[in-house]
Amino acid sequence: MATTVVNRVRRSRLRRIPIFRILFLALCFLFVLAPLYWTFVTSIKPSDDFLASPPVWFPDNPTLVHYNAALFAYRGLNGLINSLIVSISATVLSCLFGTLMAYSLARFNTGGQHLSFWVLSQRFLPPVAIVLPIFLNYRALGLNDTHVGLILAYTVFTLPVSVWMMFAYFRQMPRSLEEAALVDGCTRWTSFWRVAVPLAVPGIVAAAIFTFIACWTEFFFALVLTSRNAYTLPTVFRAFLSFQGAQYGAASALSIVSLVPSIVLGVLVQKHLVRGLTLGAIRG
Amino acid sequence: MANGIAADGRTSGPGRHPSARKSDNWFKWLLVAPAAVLILAISIYPLLFSVWVLFVNYDFQIPGHAYVGLKNFTQVITDPVARYSLWVTVVLSTINVVLEFLLGLAMAMAMANTFRGRGVLISILIVPLFISPIIVGQVWVLMLHSPFGPTNYLLGLLLGQEVNIRWLTAFPWNFVALVLADMWQWTPFMFVILLAGLTSIPPHVYEAAELDGVGRWQTFWYITVPYIAPMMLLAVTFRLLDAIRLFDTIFIMTGGGPGTSTYSASYYLYTIGFTQFHLSRATAGAWIFMILTLLVVFFLVRRLLRAEVR
Repeated sequence: MATTVVNRVRRSRLRRIPIFRILFLALCFLFVLAPLYWTFVTSIKPSDDFLASPPVWFPDNPTLVHYNAALFAYRGLNGLINSLIVSISATVLSCLFGTLMAYSLARFNTGGQHLSFWVLSQRFLPPVAIVLPIFLNYRALGLNDTHVGLILAYTVFTLPVSVWMMFAYFRQMPRSLEEAALVDGCTRWTSFWRVAVPLAVPGIVAAAIFTFIACWTEFFFALVLTSRNAYTLPTVFRAFLSFQGAQYGAASALSIVSLVPSIVLGVLVQKHLVRGLTLGAIRG
Repeated sequence: MANGIAADGRTSGPGRHPSARKSDNWFKWLLVAPAAVLILAISIYPLLFSVWVLFVNYDFQIPGHAYVGLKNFTQVITDPVARYSLWVTVVLSTINVVLEFLLGLAMAMAMANTFRGRGVLISILIVPLFISPIIVGQVWVLMLHSPFGPTNYLLGLLLGQEVNIRWLTAFPWNFVALVLADMWQWTPFMFVILLAGLTSIPPHVYEAAELDGVGRWQTFWYITVPYIAPMMLLAVTFRLLDAIRLFDTIFIMTGGGPGTSTYSASYYLYTIGFTQFHLSRATAGAWIFMILTLLVVFFLVRRLLRAEVR
């Protein structure tokens, strides 16, 4: 008797989607997709279509000339390669060092709350306050406009993400296997490297992808710390500041080139998104 | 067998043997070392070094590093543009966070129940989170371009008359444009966190309320809100601490203009430091900004940690 009431309530909950809710969600959907669609369409339009009124919603003669211009005339290809070098290196370093530290924090409570809070606080320092001193130091060390300089800066500024994500991951992993390994005669190091790390691979992969996206999309550090040599993809957009019609196509083509990889990666780790955004505070 | 190995100290069980505990101590600090050293070298050391910069002349336009006392600070504090930019930062980030929170909450509420295609819809709605803010700005420049962007055209169709808003160069539309771009990128942030909160509420709570005839509004205030309050606090905190950085979209969309009307604190400090090369003055401003930020961090994050513990 009681269960049928509950079932009826549950079923009615599933079926009833008011029309204004559908409308609202449709609007959100359009709001998200319209700018992306417009950017894509602009990137394949012949230049003559840019200034047409009414706007050309889809070109009759799609073209790839703007991709050519973006990658070669605006040297976007160099930026792309630099972005790959810097983002991958920084991701590897950040996740390696981050996993080591997170394990120590999770299993030994190293440094108590202070150490973990200190790492977290790095995440919340305003970049402009950090980047000025880094710039001055890099100048003395000759690290401005080098890959190494940007990789080190990115590693440090993504460490809070990788440390806290892995910290949350290790904390929810049972210790019993590692303890069994210790009893069987493993050293602390082998029980970490041979037992804990393989179990944590899904977490490490998720942390790595979030770290990579953070580096791939970063603009401010790259703007200040690089110029002609190590410039990354986002900084190429400086070329479009003095906006003229002719640059429309190249700007949108470059946008597409840069946003597709990070969107694909992001949707792949969607399951971990909430954990990633909140640095592991909410499991999601 | 196990005993034999334990006798050599480094391999006993969870820290019973005193020498094992000592090696554990080494081990845990060794794991922390690489990350800690890197943070010290790249973040903390430069910050300490910059304390010296605060009180000397460090300026690519004036040679030498003479001691100047508090001149760097007074130059920033007395600059009306500095105070204005701080004001812009506070107002814009507040508006952004409030609007993103409300819209994100509405979206999460609308999608709390399962329906067909929900998973796909979520995947699409979160896409802006993975795009570089500089590209978000670029994309909105294309959308809002006057007179040839689609926004003015569609508004014209909607209102039945020609619309020619100069979104990026005319007050107050330049602020509307900045808010729009920020909302487009970060509303999904609020949305996914609040959605995670909503879906973690056990359905029987709602069923009980429904059976007791509790109204919808009351259900929202007395059941939903208290349940997801910690997530709300967390989402707002994280978002606010990023929102006050506010640089990339301004850089590409308005360039701080017209004039200095859309200067945020970060943008102001960037121009002082890296287009005018008054580095010591910019450092002084950055320290003031950082201390203001840290006050917010301590206030909000401490609260957050307390809420977590409870």
